[in-house]
Amino acid sequence: MVRVMVVDDHPIWREGVARDLGEAGHSVVATAADGDAAVRIAAAARPEVVLMDLQLPRRSGVDATGAILAADPSARVLVLSASGEDDDVLAAVKAGATGYLVKSASRDELVAAVERTARGDAVFSPGLAGLVLGEFRRIAAGPDDSAPPLTEREVEVLRMVAKGLTARQVAERLVLSHRTVQNHVQNTLRKLQLHNRVELVRYAIEQGLDES
Amino acid sequence: MNRVSSPALPSPGVETLLWRAVVVFRVAALAYVAVLILAAYRTYQHPAGGLAALAAMAGWTALMTVANSTEAGRRWPVVVADLAVCLTLTISSLWVQTHGQSHGGSTTLTTTWTAAPMLGAAIVGGPWGGAAAAAALGAGAVVTRQAVTADTVGSIVLLFLAGTVSGYAAQLAIRGEQRLAAATRLEAATRERERLARGIHDGVLQVLALVQRRGTEIGGGAAELARLAGEQEVALRGLITAPPAALAQPPAGRLARPAPTRGAGPAPPAGDAVGGGGRDAGDHRHDARRPARGGAVRRTNGAAAALDLRALLAPERSSHVSVSAPATPVPLAPDRARELAAAVRAALDNVVRHAGADARAWVFVEDLGAEVVVSVRDDGPGIPAGRLDAAAAEGRLGVASSMRGRVRDLGGTMTVNSAPGEGTEVEMRVPRGAEEAAWSG
Repeated sequence: MVRVMVVDDHPIWREGVARDLGEAGHSVVATAADGDAAVRIAAAARPEVVLMDLQLPRRSGVDATGAILAADPSARVLVLSASGEDDDVLAAVKAGATGYLVKSASRDELVAAVERTARGDAVFSPGLAGLVLGEFRRIAAGPDDSAPPLTEREVEVLRMVAKGLTARQVAERLVLSHRTVQNHVQNTLRKLQLHNRVELVRYAIEQGLDES
Repeated sequence: MNRVSSPALPSPGVETLLWRAVVVFRVAALAYVAVLILAAYRTYQHPAGGLAALAAMAGWTALMTVANSTEAGRRWPVVVADLAVCLTLTISSLWVQTHGQSHGGSTTLTTTWTAAPMLGAAIVGGPWGGAAAAAALGAGAVVTRQAVTADTVGSIVLLFLAGTVSGYAAQLAIRGEQRLAAATRLEAATRERERLARGIHDGVLQVLALVQRRGTEIGGGAAELARLAGEQEVALRGLITAPPAALAQPPAGRLARPAPTRGAGPAPPAGDAVGGGGRDAGDHRHDARRPARGGAVRRTNGAAAALDLRALLAPERSSHVSVSAPATPVPLAPDRARELAAAVRAALDNVVRHAGADARAWVFVEDLGAEVVVSVRDDGPGIPAGRLDAAAAEGRLGVASSMRGRVRDLGGTMTVNSAPGEGTEVEMRVPRGAEEAAWSG
């Protein structure tokens, strides 16, 4: 059983998702309709997995993701968002979210994704793989050398995921274990989040925020 | 008594204000001319003629004051008539004044009053209109003086200067106002779009997404409903995140395309120019509820010619088709971007034709700087080894060869990988030209 919190500003959606997770044997310990409430309630309810919509009133899902993970680093955030919000999805992943699922995903996909997120696995959609790969290429093309580059294998894995291959199919093609493929994917996220923290610190120093 | 409240009048435009200035000038010049004529008419060869000319000038001033305050009285025919009347009155100095007066001993009857139509011509025709009217007035002055003296030349130079400068200034002011109006309209349209986008996101899109999910679970006829709801959700989202219609150029390839095989609903306008790649370190701090941009960022520094390949491919997203791309624009020259997008659409049509309408497809766009790579993969039955070669040998590759042709025309290469049970993957690699390379990165 996974303790889940559902953050979405639409009540019909919250109820539908909560029911699906409940039927699958998980416990929805809290819901929130905006980013502010999400951060407050998460501190009290201590969910293992936060299902996070990105377009929220008052405080964005990206912001709330960062705040929730800062308060409780053991929590996992799974972004459940509509397609076409690429910038926000990438920002949420940089802020620490470990997975992304489109809202049109089926119930089975949703339940499986929540379970995998609770185990600490990354949940990658093809879209997210494309975004992450693109982001590493953008960083590599820029003057910034603080980003740890992706290994050839990691690039290979991300490209396959972006083309819609499942982790199992990737493992078969590359003759690797399923676990190893998962680790490669996770490493890319870890590197991206690390780079984001370095960027944040650098930004703070440039702005003179470290002196206050 | 019935009082009808008048609607709030829009503040007058620059053009109206300029015409008002012409009227003020004309009246002020008339007062000056009146003083000159009343002081000197007794010395004229025909004093009554001088007074008659003054009366004519006053009447014409009144008439033009009325005419210039209407839309129809600010056009070329009126300006030309105005100029003709002024010239006639100026040349009448020859008959009214004594020989000495009209040949340089005194001012002409009309003096500066004649400059009014030149100002009008400058407003209507810009610097060239002003210059043409100045030339006509200059010719009138030469006729009246019957000689080209240093004085006349000086006046004519001043006339030209005034005509072109006021024409240039008027043109600048009017264009500036038009641009401001366009910018204001665009801003209003964007605001309205954002308001609609918020409303639609909060309601319609959520319900459509839910219908899609529930319907798929129930299966049967509901699954078809679910598919339609999903496609409408994608189409509607594309519509509310696309740039305002005034900015979007519809991609030619899309318009020429027959009805989409997958029934993807209304196609949102997809063409838009590319935003700069400058994302700063403050990137992660997003504004709350900022609408998704969908690649609709417009670069302002002259590179508006580039098209974002992602935006051209976004409409292909559906319940069966996933489109993966970087979060930053993938700029290409517009015609090349459209060609490449057309090749991708042909590949997707091919998936439907050969792998069936239920096959899923994944489009993956990569920007490698020097080249752009797009792959289209499906989970269909795949093509047995050798069948592709055989088909090519028999010259019936159809869509595949036309795709290959398109990609080759772009200077790129296309490879097809397939095996039975493994689906088919088409990979198109297109190099960037020197001009395009400047847009990337």
